[in-house]
Amino acid sequence: MAFRNLRRRPLRTGILVAALSLMVAALVFALSFVIRVNSSIKLTSDRLGADLLIVPTGARGGAEDILVENRATSFFMNKSFVDRIKKIKGIDKVSAQTYLVTLTGLCCSVPSSMVVAFNQETDFIVTPWLKEKLGRKLQKGEAVVGSESAYNINLGMVEMEAKLFGSVFSMVGVLDKTGSGLDTAVFISDENIEEIIKNSDADIKPDQISVIFAKLKKGADPYTVMSEIENNIIELDVVMRKDIGKSLLTTLGDISKIFYLTMVLSTVLSLFLVWAIFTAIANERAREVGIMRALGAKERHVVILFLFEVLVLGAIGSLVGIIAGTALTLMMAQSFSILRNLPVDLTPFTRTVIALAGLLFGTGICVLGALSPVQRLKKLEPLLVIKQE
Amino acid sequence: MPQLIVENITKTYLVDNAPLDAVRSVSLRIDKGDFISIVGHSGSGKTTLLSMIGGITRPSSGKVLFDGEDIFALASDRVSEYRCEQIGFMFQFASLLPILTVKENLLLPTVFRPRATGQEAAAKAEELLRLVGLTEKINVYPAQLSGGQQRRVAIARAFMNDPALVLADEPTGDLDEETEGDMMRFFKSMNEAKGVTFIMVTHNTDLARQTKRHLRMIQGALQVV
Repeated sequence: MAFRNLRRRPLRTGILVAALSLMVAALVFALSFVIRVNSSIKLTSDRLGADLLIVPTGARGGAEDILVENRATSFFMNKSFVDRIKKIKGIDKVSAQTYLVTLTGLCCSVPSSMVVAFNQETDFIVTPWLKEKLGRKLQKGEAVVGSESAYNINLGMVEMEAKLFGSVFSMVGVLDKTGSGLDTAVFISDENIEEIIKNSDADIKPDQISVIFAKLKKGADPYTVMSEIENNIIELDVVMRKDIGKSLLTTLGDISKIFYLTMVLSTVLSLFLVWAIFTAIANERAREVGIMRALGAKERHVVILFLFEVLVLGAIGSLVGIIAGTALTLMMAQSFSILRNLPVDLTPFTRTVIALAGLLFGTGICVLGALSPVQRLKKLEPLLVIKQE
Repeated sequence: MPQLIVENITKTYLVDNAPLDAVRSVSLRIDKGDFISIVGHSGSGKTTLLSMIGGITRPSSGKVLFDGEDIFALASDRVSEYRCEQIGFMFQFASLLPILTVKENLLLPTVFRPRATGQEAAAKAEELLRLVGLTEKINVYPAQLSGGQQRRVAIARAFMNDPALVLADEPTGDLDEETEGDMMRFFKSMNEAKGVTFIMVTHNTDLARQTKRHLRMIQGALQVV
């Protein structure tokens, strides 16, 4: 009966389904966006293995670009800062990395990529992954690639040689996925830096590094240590693990506000539309309901009949919205640079949860909007509505 | 004990903020198997009286007792059950649901209080349609029927739940003379063979004369003819 009632006025049913679809599509897109960005930042932070990230003043954004958004960029500071950091109270271990960006055709035989040079004696960021995958240290002239690096993806193999900054490197392995921006990088030992400087025009000096990762002693307060470093060494910026991606989160926060506002407006609009349409439906069918009541229908029969109609509408609108929202998310993932570069994609489980949230929300709004007209209808005195012509 | 006792019922509406008595202090006692006709001008309160007896509008004062039970003292669901199980309504206008076929319209009362299996209810619907001469229209929609045919479907529907009391509000209004006679014979057979009580509102004095008792409503009050 509910299906037949909905088919009575196809245009009206279509408008309501379209409005609900738009609302649910907006919700699915907004949730997918926010969850994906938050997950990427959290994963990067969790897997970093360091409590503090120390970079040259002003390079904080660049470091986050590399770690969270996979953007290739380079910045440098003097290596002597490593020793100064070691002396700060609360610091347990430090390790430095140097970031270089390859340029296709000029220095290198490979597509544009991030090259990370690390010290194998002190490193605690890459080494655990390297041990697991390669089972030994990297030799001079050897490199391993991140799971999603241009080498791995474009060439499909690693047992090959490639020219990096004028030097030939053997690609000896692929690291497991870390979920961070380093998945797209190439890793070499810092013993190679000297030769790189000699053989290429790379804009780096022998005593330079890009970033210092620091692990704190047990019980040390990251905020206190950070303040200590920044107060004593003004040439450096410090990012706490929990703050990685904060600038991205601030941007995301602004985008999210727009999403939330759009959501609120489309929810109010949908609610009003459902209410208006069901008020019209209730007025239109009051006489039929009166006849059913006269034939013995209880109030709950009336409610069930309309509720089923509302649920069918809500479910159809929500399902269309979920499909549209998911399609929009996938399309936008290619167009939005903020999404394109994120290391983490949504899992099927998260997508299912988002879809269920969309279904519940869309159907819930439909039920909520129809509640008042249906309540009014079930309470009408049958004779009064039956006599309406 | 009478099957139906109507005790001093009044129904007052507010028309332009002024009270108007549609039914005034009506009392009535009807035994099981009675067949009563009520005649009266339009607006004399006949439909309102039937509606109060059938529990689809609440009197402003007074009581309606069916088998000794005050129906307006019952909870809303129990009043619905009373309408479904004891009452067969025939309205004075087309009262079929347009989205349901003839058969589905007949089965509607059984949905609200299913007592028989689907097959038994379907067989009964087919039998009633045969009795009103519409067997071949069983699967069509009301819009495909004439006014008279719709009226006959509504008549058949009133008997779907084996009611004890049929409230017929000008049941033959849209029917030609021959079909009207057929329907009246059908009513009498149900009254005599099954003991169904009838209260029939009509403008047709010839029809009224065929019933066991005749009443007249004048300006909301009931008189014995």
